[in-house]
Order: sequence, then structure tokens, then C-alpha cells
Amino acid sequence: MAENGGVTLEGVTKTFPGGTRAVDAVSLAIAEGEFFSLLGPSGCGKTTTLRMIAGFEAPDAGRIRVRGADITALPPEKRNMGMVFQNYALFPHRTVAENVAFGLRMRNVPKADIAARVRQALAMVRLEGLEDRRPAQLSGGQQQRVALARAIVVNPTVLLCDEPLGALDKKLRQAMQFELKELHRRLGLTLVYVTHDQEEALTMSDRIAVMRAGRIAQLGTPREIYDRPTSRFVADFIGDTNILDGEPREGGLAMPGGWVSPVASLPPGVRAIALRPEQVRLTAAGGGIVDATVEEANFLGDSMLLKLGLPAGVALLARVPRDADPALTTPGSRAGVSWRPEDPVPLADA
Amino acid sequence: MRAAFLAVNGAVIAFLLTPVAIVLFFAVNPEPFIAFPPTGVSFRWFEKFLTSRDFMAAFGLSLVLGAATVAIAGTLGTAAALAIARGGLPGRRTLTAIFLSPIVLPAILTGFALFQLAMVLGLGRTVWILLAGHCVIAVPYVLRTVLAVLAHSDPALEEAARGLGATPAVAFREVTLPLIRPGVIAGALFAFIVSFDQFPVSLFLVSPGNETLPIAMFNYLRFDSDGTIAAASTVSILLAVLLVLGIERTIGLQEYARL
Ligand SMILES: Nc1ncnc2c1ncn2[C@@H]1O[C@H](COP(=O)(O)OP(=O)(O)OP(=O)(O)O)[C@@H](O)[C@H]1O
Ligand SMILES: [Mg+2]
Repeated sequence: MAENGGVTLEGVTKTFPGGTRAVDAVSLAIAEGEFFSLLGPSGCGKTTTLRMIAGFEAPDAGRIRVRGADITALPPEKRNMGMVFQNYALFPHRTVAENVAFGLRMRNVPKADIAARVRQALAMVRLEGLEDRRPAQLSGGQQQRVALARAIVVNPTVLLCDEPLGALDKKLRQAMQFELKELHRRLGLTLVYVTHDQEEALTMSDRIAVMRAGRIAQLGTPREIYDRPTSRFVADFIGDTNILDGEPREGGLAMPGGWVSPVASLPPGVRAIALRPEQVRLTAAGGGIVDATVEEANFLGDSMLLKLGLPAGVALLARVPRDADPALTTPGSRAGVSWRPEDPVPLADA
Repeated sequence: MRAAFLAVNGAVIAFLLTPVAIVLFFAVNPEPFIAFPPTGVSFRWFEKFLTSRDFMAAFGLSLVLGAATVAIAGTLGTAAALAIARGGLPGRRTLTAIFLSPIVLPAILTGFALFQLAMVLGLGRTVWILLAGHCVIAVPYVLRTVLAVLAHSDPALEEAARGLGATPAVAFREVTLPLIRPGVIAGALFAFIVSFDQFPVSLFLVSPGNETLPIAMFNYLRFDSDGTIAAASTVSILLAVLLVLGIERTIGLQEYARL
């Protein structure tokens, strides 16, 4: 457990009046300095979990600890956390500088120090020169930076971000992802990051908790989550994936249409596997595990995504290099498909 | 199209301002009866109004009542709006309906009910009952305007303040209050005008010698119809205009538009 630092949740549960169990006995340990993401579809309880860590929502059951100390009953103002809200929640009646200074003022920091620290925080998010603007006079990206500066200027023990980049366009989003990551590295903060964007979670996080209906479906590093999903839900939610259902057989899974997918180690009772499109290889017809028909080919710039038809009408996605043999990738052509036995991931809950 | 638009607007403005113009006309009309064309300009009715002991007592009482109504109804209405919008109370709709009911009920009913209540409780018709009546009528106006502003302000702002280290009281002072201030000011203005103009509720609750200006004007009108009433009305109108201008100048009503 993260008794050395970080944030610990022990059996944290929240049921809203009306009966929605938003968070259901969640336990997890976030290490000090870790970039930790809560990832999941809309309504799975990410925001509620974050709000309980921040103190805006009280859990019905369970404990929340920071650096070992139980903070479950502490009001938000005593938790020394920084929070970046999805819609930024900047004070509209105050200037950028006043927004950033707010937390310092609440901590009775001397006036001269406040000015210096505000300047420093604004420099850190590259917002010099906008001190006297009001939030309404800023672009979305600039507002986002003010929100970030306001949260980090107080040196919080934990920085909480609720889909902070959700309102930005794709390009700005990517730029901010790099900046946020860089900021995290420089400040060495413990960061809890909520997102429903799996790509964002995979690129930024040290570890990810994938949530589903108030519970943690899987917790691990981005690689573990991506390469070794343990359930159909996680495999499906993270990236493009093929899920193949069959019957267990010696050395693999027997598929509808009379062929067998090799699977290196298939635990007893498992009847489904997940296979990433980039793990599918194309060979000449007859040279693979089974033959397939190319139904669609989408050019993605750096690669091609093919939609293949397997026997018995099963669909399979394959991602192949853009310079792959056209004879195998033009719609209508026949190709053999194969993968290594260790590539398919057994899905326990199929 | 544009001409029609201007014509309609002109007609509406004329319709709204004509009564004011007529009042002004009578106020400076020297004759004790309505004469047209006017025979001159005189301030005798203003003089009569401003030197009348009865009128001045009523005017003073109305001003004090209006100020007290602003303070009490302003506080109550704002507190109720905050509780309804942010308190997470069960039955918020019912609460809102109850608080707003004095607007819906005929004021004469509210006045009669308060009169009955005062009699049953044996309180008699004191200024305190009168003040209570004015507050009952004024609270909904404050509630409405503050609720309207609260509906447009993000509850996350208060949470943001709390997260940055503000206690609930400090978050209220630093964030909530500045944000709802335009609504509170507008509500207070309504409260003052509703109290200062109040007739039906006051009618039941004033006692002889403790009359508000509208009641005093009504009593006077029953026996006399010279220009004194017009002069009193002009002073009231002037007071309202000065009040709005004063607020505009010092605190700034236009902030309501800016939000
Ligand atoms: N204040 C509330 N009152 C009642 N139910 C709520 C409240 N807040 C959230 N819920 C419910 O709790 C569940 C989890 O909500 P939460 O906001 O944590 O989801 P989320 O994972 O953040 O979703 P999203 O990605 O859409 O933001 C949802 O079913 C939601 O409707
Ligand atoms: Mg959310």
C-alpha cells in the first residue's frame, strides 16, 4: 500500500439520494508523485470518486487517506489539494491574477510573496501578460491554464483534474497533454486525472484505473491495460480491438466456421479472446491460420485499417503498414491471416 | 418596417409616460381644479404638500418602512433563495411556491389575513404588523431576482473557493455574495418600491395617526382633489428616479447586464 505517501481509498462507497450507487467499494492506492488516471465511460463514477478525494462529497462508507492520515471527515478547505474543474470554475468577477492569488490569500501569505508566486505560476503555464484580464476575456485554452495555475500555486499535496482538457479542440488538447505531463514531472506532484478518453489516459498516465458502474474493472500501467485486458469490457473500451468467441480446444479456441485460433495459455473455462488489430498479419491466401475476405480498407495516414470477413460472418479488424502488398489489401481480395499464439488475450468474463 | 417599429415603440413609450406627464401637469397647475389651457405655473401644491404636517409624517413613515422592508425582506429573501438554490433541501419546489404565493394572492387578501391574525393574537394594528405585512409582500420579489442570478452562477465556483482553502463563510463572502449582488440590489429596489407604493396591505394595517403616504393620499383624495396629490406623486416619482440613479452611480445596476 502507499503508506509512504500518496492517496489511499479503502472501500469507498457513495450512494446518491434516489438510489444511484455512483461508487461501489472502491479501493486503490496512489503512490506519491504518481500520475494516476481514472478512466471509464460516462456515468461510471469518476467524478464522484474525485469529488470524494477533494472533500466535496462525503462517502457513505470507507476511508480516504493521504500520506497515511485519515482525511475522510476533513472539509475541503483543510485538505490542501488543488482541483481543476472540467469547466474551469474561474471566478468571473476577478482578474486572472486575483484568481491565481485566491488560494494564497486564503493561506494568509504576505502580499509581496503573493505577487511573486502568482507571477511564477503564470509563467509556469506560459500566461505572462494576461494578469489583468477577466476570465471572460480569455480563450478556452487560456482559461484552462489559469485554472491550472490557480490550483498549483498553493503547492497542493495532490492535484485533482476532472477532464481538464475536455472542452478543448484536438490540437490544443494534445499540446496541453504534453504541457501537463511536463508540469507533473517538474513539480513531482501526485496527480489524479479523470478522463473518458482512453488515448489520453494511455499517453499520460503512470497507472490507470478503468472504472465501470462504480467499480474498478482493472488497474494497471497503460501497457498492462492495453496489452493484457482482463475483461471483455476493458478490452473493448481501450483502443480498437477484436473479440473472438469460440469453444476451448487443445492448444486454442475453436471458432465458428471450423478453424482454431492458437492461444498460448488458455485458462480453463475461458471462451473468448481479445486480439489487437496491429497483431493481425496478412499473408497470401492459404498461408495463414485461416483465409479472410477484405471488405473495407481505410487509409489512416501512417497505416491502413482493414475490415476482414472471417468464415461464418465473423468480422476482424487488422492494422497493416501503408505499404502492404496491394494484392492483399484491396477490397474484394482474399488473404490469409495469422497471429502469434501469445498475442491473443484470454477474457475471463466472456 | 423600420418606420413601423419606431411608431410602435413611440406609441408604447407615450402610453407609459402620459400618466406621468399628466401628474406633472396637475402638480404645477395653479388652479384648485383641472383647467385647460393652463393658466400658469405654480409650486403652491408642492408647498402645501411639503408643509403639511400629516403628509410629512406619512412620508417619513413610508420612507422608514421602505428602508426597514429592504433590510428585512432583502435578508430573508436572499437567505431563502440561497437555501432553495444551493441547500439541497427536499421539497424545494413547494418551498418556492410558498415563498412566492404573496405575489399570486391578491394583496388585499394578504392584508385582510394579516389584519385578522393581528386581531386574533390581540396585537392590534401597530407599525410592526404593518412592517411585517410589507415584508411578506416584498420577500417574493427579492427571492425571484436572487434565484434568477443564482440559476446562472455555477455552484462549482463555491467549491473551487472551498478547495482553495476558504471556509464556507469566507467562500460566501468572497465568491457567492459578489456574484449574486446584482440580484440582491435589484430585489432590494423592488422591495423598497413595493413597500413605498403599498396600498391594499397597508389599508388593513395602518392605524389612525400612523398612516403611510399612499393611505394619506387616499384619505386626502376622498375630500379634496386639488394639486397636492399630484405634487406628492411627483415627489414620489422623483424619489424613485433618484434612487435608481443613485444605485446606478454608486454600486452599478449595469452589472446585472454584464453577468
Ligand atoms: N449529485 C448527484 N445526485 C444524484 N446522482 C448523481 C449525482 N452526481 C452523480 N450522480 C450519478 O452518479 C453516477 C456517477 O456519476 P459521475 O458524475 O461520477 O460519473 P462520471 O464517471 O464522472 O461521468 P462523466 O464522464 O459523464 O462525467 C451517475 O449515474 C450520475 O447520474
Ligand atoms: Mg464526470
